[in-house]
Amino acid sequence: MKKTFKKEKLLKWSRINRQVLIGAVLFLAFIFPLFNLLGWMGMVWVRLGVKVAVFVLLALGLNIIIGETGLLNLGYIAFFAIGAYTTAIFASPRLGFHLPFWLLFLLSGFFAVAFGFLLGLPTLRLRGDYLAIVTLAFGEIVRITLNNWESVTNGPGGIPGIYDPVIFGLRIDNNFEYYYLTLGLIILCLILIRNLKNSRFGRAWNALREDEIAAECAGIHVSMAKLLSFMVSSLFAGFAGCIFASLQKFVNPQYFVFMQSVLVVCMVVLGGMGSIPGVIAGAIALDTLPEIIRHTFAFWLPSFLGEDFLTSFPPLLQNFLFDFDRYRMLIFGLAIVLMMIFRPEGLIPSRAWQRELHEIDPRLLEETQMIRFDLEEEEKDLEV
Amino acid sequence: MVLLETINLTKYFGGISAVKKFNFKINEGEIVSIIGPNGSGKTTFFNLVSGLYKPDSGDILFEGESLVGLRPDQISNKGIARTYQTLRIFGNMTVLENVLVGMHPRLQSNFFHSLLHTLKVRREEKEAREEAIKILSYFKGRLTGPRLNHPASSLSYANRRRLEICRALANHPKLLLLDEPAAGMNPSETIEMMEQIKEIRDKGYTIILIEHDMKVVMGASDRVVAMDHGEKIAEGGALEVARNPLVIEAYLGKKGAQIA
Repeated sequence: MKKTFKKEKLLKWSRINRQVLIGAVLFLAFIFPLFNLLGWMGMVWVRLGVKVAVFVLLALGLNIIIGETGLLNLGYIAFFAIGAYTTAIFASPRLGFHLPFWLLFLLSGFFAVAFGFLLGLPTLRLRGDYLAIVTLAFGEIVRITLNNWESVTNGPGGIPGIYDPVIFGLRIDNNFEYYYLTLGLIILCLILIRNLKNSRFGRAWNALREDEIAAECAGIHVSMAKLLSFMVSSLFAGFAGCIFASLQKFVNPQYFVFMQSVLVVCMVVLGGMGSIPGVIAGAIALDTLPEIIRHTFAFWLPSFLGEDFLTSFPPLLQNFLFDFDRYRMLIFGLAIVLMMIFRPEGLIPSRAWQRELHEIDPRLLEETQMIRFDLEEEEKDLEV
Repeated sequence: MVLLETINLTKYFGGISAVKKFNFKINEGEIVSIIGPNGSGKTTFFNLVSGLYKPDSGDILFEGESLVGLRPDQISNKGIARTYQTLRIFGNMTVLENVLVGMHPRLQSNFFHSLLHTLKVRREEKEAREEAIKILSYFKGRLTGPRLNHPASSLSYANRRRLEICRALANHPKLLLLDEPAAGMNPSETIEMMEQIKEIRDKGYTIILIEHDMKVVMGASDRVVAMDHGEKIAEGGALEVARNPLVIEAYLGKKGAQIA
């Protein structure tokens, strides 16, 4: 019994620490752009912050499918594209529409969900790899359609001149405002995701991930639950697309290539499938790391060590360090391979996947020992 | 009143008949055991009733309505719940969540209420949790207390079996299909399980039991059906069936039966 007590206390502590940590991260997220006002960092970083925020939204959405429901979607960026193009078409001089932002926002979400539904309906009977291939194809179909439907999307030329959003009379036209808009949206989505996660629907998704047959025999309508998961995750992509289009003021099909889908999958997997903090960390890491590395070698180190320190490096290395963007995928590939070997459950794992991948986790060992201890007690009870 | 009835139920796998012209009947409030050697079609019968397999011919009537062609979740909603010989718990979910999943079809809250976590949802969730804990406490303290929030995969083998029964009960089924509930349990646990099955029946459930442990079969069941090669070879009281020469032959072979 003593052991149980100690464990409860430990759990309580970890819960408090968690809350403190969440508070700290939120606080940091809120004050982050202010560093720019203080002159500590350039506008580039605020802009990067907005981009990261958009990708956090995307990764959170994809996590619903991959992490919670256990289905692989390799065409996720298509829903992002649908959201972005909806905003671009209905709020630019292209076809002469200018809808209010809140309507655009809902419309972007709606179209993404509608396409999620259309894709999901015939395909969700497929499992595993087959579903992944179909979603991959869907992603390409959407991109190619956008590329060729000249009368509406202007083909490869893209749609320029997307209007600034106006919310309650406030015109969103600088990076700070975009940052806080997206941050607000992330918080809203986090609340919604948490609510769903703790509802019968979230449990149904988890049950499907664990054992589809048992879930079905427990009365869960498998196709409906999967379709719902697909649609909810498309919704977040649609929202993210709307913000993205407004921010960039320009969309073109080149942005919504397969590689971007892979990038979002990487964020979810590297961060930790099914774990909300993990997914956020994954999105932040994958978006900021290349920038940080590039800045380190292009600006920070030269300013410390003198402008010409790089010239002492061999040319190939110079090239690599300056043009880091070009080698980004190479580094990601390496990072993913290393992660899969040393930490397959992700940066900040959900408890579920950690158990799946590390049979002998020390915490788990303690737990099982406790159970064994309890069992012995029970046996004694029975003997009496 | 007849709760479940199968008429000439037949299922082939390739050329082999797993279940062949199987006629079965269970009345409300009964515990009927199905026995038979491995591969005699007992679990296939469960899979047919719960909708995982479609029968090749014959019919399954539940409360007079045919179940053939329904999806497993529809059958579950009609009031048939089951456990599995090869455990199928949701390992990475907590013990409590496992039972709550079993309650899924009974919970009413719709998607938008859940999304907004309204008062109605909160009330329902709270009630569901309380009820789940009540169901889990059928097995005394084994699944309750601190274990409620442990992952189901951390449970011992016997406790996983108990958890599966709790998950099945959470749906308030009219008919409970238990596939070897005492497998992997030690003798004292087996006897305890037998008593608990009888207690569950007394709460108003009807139970079909697949079991190899004759102690449980003898102790718990009102009636026993013996199967071999997918066919019914004997039916009746437990002792009567156990002494039936056909049953002995099915288990021990012809020579064995002669020696016995």
